[in-house]
Amino acid sequence: MSKLLPWLFVAALALLPVAFPDPYLLAVLTSAGIFIIGAISLNLLLGYTGQLSLGHVAFFGLGAYTSALAALGFDIGIGFGLRITLAPQPAWLGFIAAIVVAGGFGWLLGRLAFRVRGAYFVIITICFAQVLRMVALNWIELTQGPMALISIPPFSLWLPGQGVVALYSKAQNYWLVLAVAVVAFLVVRQVVESRIGRALVALRSNESLARSVGIRVTHYLVIAAVISAGIAGAAGSLFAHYVRIVDPDVFLFIYTVTMVIMVITGGKGTLWGPVVGGLIFGLIPDLLRGHAAPEAQWVAYGVAMILFVMFLPRGIVPALASLRPRP
Amino acid sequence: MLNRRSVLLAGLAMPALATRGFAADAIKIGMTQPLTGAVAASGNYVANGAKIATEVLNRAGGVLGRPLELVLEDNKSNPREAVASVEKLVLRDRVPVLIGAWSSTFTLAIMPKLMEYKVPMVVETSSAARITTSGNPYVFRIAPTSEMEAVAFAGLLGKFSPPMRKIDFLSVNNDFGRGAAEKFAASLAARGITVGKTETMTPEATDLAAQLTALKQTDSDTVFVTTGVEQMTLALRQAVEQRLGKRIVTTGGSFPDQLIANPLPAGNESFHILFYAPWFPERAPHPAIAATYTAEWNKKGWEFAGLTEGFRGYDAMLTVVEAIRLAGKPEAEAIRAALWNVKIPGVNGDIAFTKDGPAGQESGQNRPNVSILKLAEGKTSLL
Amino acid sequence: MDQLLQHLVNGTVLGGTYALLGIGLTLIFGVMRVVNFTHGELYAFGAYMTYAFVSLLGVNFYLALALATLAGVALGAALELVLLRRMRRADIDSVMLVMIGASLVLQNAEMWAWGGVAKLIPNPFAGSPLVLGPVSVLPLRLFVLGVSAALLLGFWLMLDRTRAGVAMRATFQDPETAALMGVRVGWVNTATFAIGSGLAAAAGALLGPVFMVSPTMGDLVGLKAFAIVILGGLGSLPGATLGGFALGFVEEFAGGYLSTEYRDAFGFLLIILVLALKPQGLVPAKERIG
Repeated sequence: MSKLLPWLFVAALALLPVAFPDPYLLAVLTSAGIFIIGAISLNLLLGYTGQLSLGHVAFFGLGAYTSALAALGFDIGIGFGLRITLAPQPAWLGFIAAIVVAGGFGWLLGRLAFRVRGAYFVIITICFAQVLRMVALNWIELTQGPMALISIPPFSLWLPGQGVVALYSKAQNYWLVLAVAVVAFLVVRQVVESRIGRALVALRSNESLARSVGIRVTHYLVIAAVISAGIAGAAGSLFAHYVRIVDPDVFLFIYTVTMVIMVITGGKGTLWGPVVGGLIFGLIPDLLRGHAAPEAQWVAYGVAMILFVMFLPRGIVPALASLRPRP
Repeated sequence: MLNRRSVLLAGLAMPALATRGFAADAIKIGMTQPLTGAVAASGNYVANGAKIATEVLNRAGGVLGRPLELVLEDNKSNPREAVASVEKLVLRDRVPVLIGAWSSTFTLAIMPKLMEYKVPMVVETSSAARITTSGNPYVFRIAPTSEMEAVAFAGLLGKFSPPMRKIDFLSVNNDFGRGAAEKFAASLAARGITVGKTETMTPEATDLAAQLTALKQTDSDTVFVTTGVEQMTLALRQAVEQRLGKRIVTTGGSFPDQLIANPLPAGNESFHILFYAPWFPERAPHPAIAATYTAEWNKKGWEFAGLTEGFRGYDAMLTVVEAIRLAGKPEAEAIRAALWNVKIPGVNGDIAFTKDGPAGQESGQNRPNVSILKLAEGKTSLL
Repeated sequence: MDQLLQHLVNGTVLGGTYALLGIGLTLIFGVMRVVNFTHGELYAFGAYMTYAFVSLLGVNFYLALALATLAGVALGAALELVLLRRMRRADIDSVMLVMIGASLVLQNAEMWAWGGVAKLIPNPFAGSPLVLGPVSVLPLRLFVLGVSAALLLGFWLMLDRTRAGVAMRATFQDPETAALMGVRVGWVNTATFAIGSGLAAAAGALLGPVFMVSPTMGDLVGLKAFAIVILGGLGSLPGATLGGFALGFVEEFAGGYLSTEYRDAFGFLLIILVLALKPQGLVPAKERIG
């Protein structure tokens, strides 16, 4: 039963566009879904290594820029009269590039940042995202700076019998995001249930003990950072091809906060936490629209955040699990 | 003319229908503006302009005999939320026409959605050229591009004495600031003026000492400042502190109104390119319309300074409602077609769209008026 | 050369205000282990209170600065009592998130109350700069620099010489032992947070009249304050002061000579460099807090 339930949930979500084809609902869920993928990736760092990254949006933004640039092509000078030129590439190639580039930066940041822990780590990740935002803002030849990369083509897929199809419709984009979310979920589950995951949990509970029994701390943390960053890059790629504009605001601090609060609300360190929390905090802003003054909507968002953290510090999923009678 | 009268007649006949069940059936007009976040001040001004236009129009009987309802959404000063706000307006509120979205980035983010949902949008503020040249037939812009502003300004060069010989730029680092620097440089270079240095500043920067110190060293006589109203005020004040010693001209239509109550020390003056100068409604192209707008705004007790930007929302609303009237029905495609035929007087001047962009997929662009306001010791005068 | 001197003066003025921003954050982190995300909002709060007292109520400028600082102290105490006190046993991440939520609430409540339009605060100083040879500076800026220095010094003496200061340092070193020795740790935390908040509000009250007051003014300042604190080494007061001046000079000189576009980025790049080469910050850990 408990094995079947998740698949029923996925099936219900997959059937939604057929059963209830309200385009607004699909738009909201697609947009929330992209951030849920971000939250799933963040959970690997925050939930399983205990390291709070408040610069996670850096990987998301890197993915978005990589994917957009691959799709649009670019031509930049790198000094000494040399130029790098890339012709426009299909979207799926950009998607893979986004994962690779974001993952690469995850490795870099992992090497650098895991030398410091706790509050240091938090602040260094914030700074990292800020630096990337400044680069995106000012490397105009590549990123168009504040003028933004526009006219990004929608995602295209090869579908059996139909060839390469551009995904314009709401339902198609919704299914794509759902599919990527399921894959991201399975990847994280695989990692968590593997050797790496057990090492991470050992680290989280007692680092010095883990070290003493020969677990290579930095090594495993860096692996987790790379995988987490790669998935966030994939989410960024989806964002770029869905919203079809990427500007330096993709590195906004509030996006990271959104992902973190999704993870915390649902329950960090649980596989389903980011999904549950993501549905709640992905839908709250859109449910509030039109029901309160714009500033009041933000106040409500902030209050909801405080209440969830104060009164359900471990998150909804663990709280529900503890309600269930034990045999 | 006949057309107009028959529509008016139809409009007069509508109240009779209304009693039979159309009463609550207001025509919805969607608007997305930055109401919270970094650029909320200007977004709220523009939204206020649209609100009073809605009231004025409703008092005059609405359109097609139906009242108007402005559905206002917050785009939270970011492109992703701009898209979300439009999806809400189009898919949930089912508005047939939109007004938005203040910044060029927000407008550019929304544009693919206009194509997808086939809903026209009147763009009231954004200045980037790409908005009307990228082949989006649902875009109708009443705001001037930086280039139009620069060209119009070049026509007024003779009003400056001593004449400009060499110019520098201090621009906010975004589409708006960089676009203005580029277009003003091109337009003024064509008039034989030498173009010097361009310094930029991030939108949220408050300390501009480094930029101003660098600009002070050049041999230019004039600095063009392009940014939002807050940073503009900071730049003017800090220019005094750094003894910049050059003529300052601001572009973009914002006015540092706080410098009226808290003037700069004697001997400092500045020039401001405006699209509406609320101190002198009688000098507007259509004084009666400008006077109504100004009076309604002041009746609300809103900041006087907001008038310099609020007119954008007011004019956009007049434009949209005229298009609905011409279309004869509140349907997106009919309104889009009718927008090409709009020809009305607005606060800024006559509003009518000319074609811009690739053939077959043109966007609409209006040709606006500019005036130059001089500010010295807290007193304003038109140049 | 003239330009260099002017940049030096500008950098000092900027650095002084950064130092003031940094110490409040450092104090709170040092004693309470709380990364205070509301710091920028308290800065904005101080500026708005000054505006309210000066422009709306017609209070004397200097009195308004003091009242705004006290208002910041009161708001800080309220935040500690309502939110942080309940979170004493929570982990650092949860506390951070609560503080981020609080900053969202504060910022948007401010926008609700005051509107988004930026305000100017009138001040009694001359609008024309003092000119010394090639260098010019506003009298108001010198006043701000002077008050910042006095606040830094007074704060230092408080930590070093008063019972409250001793209690704070004791709590920082070992809360449990401090509690056994009769220090009421709860009240030390409240006092610490209130004072740290008061310092942020004082910075806002001082800089509000120099710049302008707007609801989002705290955003960049909050980030800068983190940068300063990291530069100096978390929890070190001399470090925060040094970090403030370092950031001020780096921004001013990089902005003046290298690239104004990247002006704000240099600070963050500097941090990444410092963390990569000297993760403990410019001032090592053993000197932390006082």
